[in-house]
Amino acid sequence: MRIVNLLLVLIISNFAFSESILFKNASIYTGDSTEILKEHDLLIVDGKISDIRSDITISADKVFNLGGKIITAGFISPFTHLGLIEINQIAATRDDSSDLYSAGFSISQAFNPSSTLIPYNLNGGLTSAISAPSGNRLFSGLGSAFSLSGNTDSLISRDIALYGSIGADGESKAANILLIEDTFELARKFNEDSSEIQEFGLPDSVKYSKRDLLAIKRVLNKEIPMVVSINRASDIITMIDFAKNQDIKLVIMGASEGWMVSSQLAESNIPVILEPINNLPASFDRLGSRLENAALLNDAGVKILIAYDEWETHNAYLSRQGAGIAVSYGLPWHEAINALTKNVSDTFNIPNRGSLLIGHHADLIVWDADPLEVTSFPEQIYISGKLMSPNTRSLMLRDRYLNKD
Amino acid sequence: MERYLLYIFFLSFLYSCSSEIFDNTPREPESNDVFASTYQPSPSGDILITGGRVLTGTGEELEDVDILIKDNVIQEISETITPGSDSIVIDAEGKWITPGIIDIHSHMGVYPAPSLRSNSDGNEATSPVTPHVWAEHSFWTQDTQMPLALKGGTTTFHVLPGSANLFGGRGVTLKNVWSKTVQGMKFPGAPYTLKMACGENPKRVYGSGSGPSTRMGNVAGYRVEWIKAKEYRDKPYKTRDLKLDTLQGVLNGEILVQNHCYRGEEMAVMIDVAKEFNYKITTFHHAVEAYKVADMLAENNICAALWADWWGFKHEAFDMVWENVAIVDQAKGGTGCAIVHSDSAIGIQRLNQEAAKAMAAGIRAGFDIPKKRAIQWITKNPAKALGIDDRVGTLEKGKMADLVIWDSDPFSVYSKTELVMIDGIIKYDSSDPSTPKPTDFELGIISPDENRL
Repeated sequence: MRIVNLLLVLIISNFAFSESILFKNASIYTGDSTEILKEHDLLIVDGKISDIRSDITISADKVFNLGGKIITAGFISPFTHLGLIEINQIAATRDDSSDLYSAGFSISQAFNPSSTLIPYNLNGGLTSAISAPSGNRLFSGLGSAFSLSGNTDSLISRDIALYGSIGADGESKAANILLIEDTFELARKFNEDSSEIQEFGLPDSVKYSKRDLLAIKRVLNKEIPMVVSINRASDIITMIDFAKNQDIKLVIMGASEGWMVSSQLAESNIPVILEPINNLPASFDRLGSRLENAALLNDAGVKILIAYDEWETHNAYLSRQGAGIAVSYGLPWHEAINALTKNVSDTFNIPNRGSLLIGHHADLIVWDADPLEVTSFPEQIYISGKLMSPNTRSLMLRDRYLNKD
Repeated sequence: MERYLLYIFFLSFLYSCSSEIFDNTPREPESNDVFASTYQPSPSGDILITGGRVLTGTGEELEDVDILIKDNVIQEISETITPGSDSIVIDAEGKWITPGIIDIHSHMGVYPAPSLRSNSDGNEATSPVTPHVWAEHSFWTQDTQMPLALKGGTTTFHVLPGSANLFGGRGVTLKNVWSKTVQGMKFPGAPYTLKMACGENPKRVYGSGSGPSTRMGNVAGYRVEWIKAKEYRDKPYKTRDLKLDTLQGVLNGEILVQNHCYRGEEMAVMIDVAKEFNYKITTFHHAVEAYKVADMLAENNICAALWADWWGFKHEAFDMVWENVAIVDQAKGGTGCAIVHSDSAIGIQRLNQEAAKAMAAGIRAGFDIPKKRAIQWITKNPAKALGIDDRVGTLEKGKMADLVIWDSDPFSVYSKTELVMIDGIIKYDSSDPSTPKPTDFELGIISPDENRL
């Protein structure tokens, strides 16, 4: 009997996977052009986007008439610690930093798809996210891209960027840049087959493992970008020159004063990850912080990616509020959506996600209204064509106390 | 030398005897004149704001009405007011108008930006019992966060000491005006407040030292001090005690308790402590679990000051629901007192959006919460919880002319302030780049001829 049930489940789930879903009369922002396609239909077959046209007449297993509601690609947060932190102040729930490894610290194997933060942020509008190590160190480690499906196969791409910072530890930024240069030099010479790491030439206190140097080699080979947290205009210029001299792919995180050096950022094709709501001159490195930063950078031709707040992974989905605020300070709406979707997948080379193109994963959201509005909610969320549950632990708590059971 | 010391000892013995003898002499009371407000708005003249759509804060939404301001206060709100010959007329057709926003939980000035060890003055974390410290004595008047909050429509804010201590000290209510002294910002006649804190923070800060190290230690700590305070009030001590002055002020109903408290069962315990010593808790702050005890809060006439969605930074903030504000608001037939607060110099710039999120969540849960009610979470209700609702928080005749003109619906992410007025004086005008007035810190800080803002 059990076996029969199991078979039935398998048949049904297999059937569900191969099902077709047709959305009629939607307003679709594909990411392929700056326009919203009004009164268009979108067809999902086998978890992929199969067709987008003004009138799809094919019969499908499920058909929804959306009455003009907006469909976008599911949002991708470019910087979170999702799956790595449950409660910030409880160290035992955190897997986001390492003292053993530096550049080679890959967070990927600690990712917990059952974290309560995942369905919560999914229902806020994120279908995937980059989970990065924290620590604000010279080299914090490697980040990976995950789907927020909650399944054990959430990993999309492993070790897609190296994270670092030059202004975090009280050491002069100049010394930190020298140390990165020396470390890069060591990594260039490092031969994987050699039995020992020759660390002469580095300060005595600095040690790297084989993993660390191999991770840096990937940056030097331009396989992955290095994401550096910096905010001051002059530091951004320094890092632009550094990236040019070292011939690496650089992404800047923070860039509070980016608007002051926007043309240099644009010329060197360096994308920036912004937290548009963070306009406080919170330190002497970000005295020029302002809400117009996103719009000014975009106007200059810089590729922008929008995150929420590095320290607030629990509400990573609020990147869409940040995007809305950036729009109210001059960023075009479609650029704000791009900054939440395809600019992230392009920058970090996450294939077949981030825009609604034929053949892409059907990671998409049907919104009850404008997705950048603070009063909007996702109505239906799909990951690879599979309808996600609207439930969260938070919603269950709400219902317990609303119904007073 | 020895003899001299002996003489002193004898004198002090006499002195202590005399203090016994004159025990019934009332000690010198706390003076109301010390650190008194010197805030005085310049005369506003007559201002007529025409044609706006007004969320009054009283629970009404009025379309296409005029507002007349005279002598810094609201004189009249009605459908057609004829301007006087000297009136300044502001056309607000198509715009939204709300009362000036009030943030009941701010640390601006005591945790300023830039954030430096030299200016982090919000927690006197040297003892869990510090009701004698006053936030206003830490306050840096040139904090860059205040003009940003002003641009966001915040006209009044309440600055609290931090939450390291069981009794953190006195809070102060300020007008969001540039001044070189804190006295020049103090809301005239606003009552003082006392910051108290439940839960994880005191036990985390003191747990490895003198204690408390548990929640039961916290509660014992409050009760020990309230016993002292009752004695201080009822028995004529000769010498003033700054700590007990503050606690006595609470027992006498002059100082309002603003209690940081997250968990439902802790709020219930704190309500019982308040009953034991016969004082009132005005507001529970942060109260992530207020929805679990919403009826109890309404029955006891206690407000809850809440975030729309912050959670997870510590265990007591794990049970967050988006509907928290709405559930508190709707408790006991809509008699609950819900407040949306910031505790953040980023959040204080857009409390309208935070209220919008909380409203949307409430509507989604099936509550009927119109904008004219939700606006009260950031205007009338915080004014009530700060004891200043007779002067601000609503747009009514006789109230201080603190108001905001928005370019569109303030419950939208796209809405921005066009004009922010405090006591009828324009402090921010989106068309005037010289407003808001930059702080001293911001002058020439970008370059020798370029200010921040």
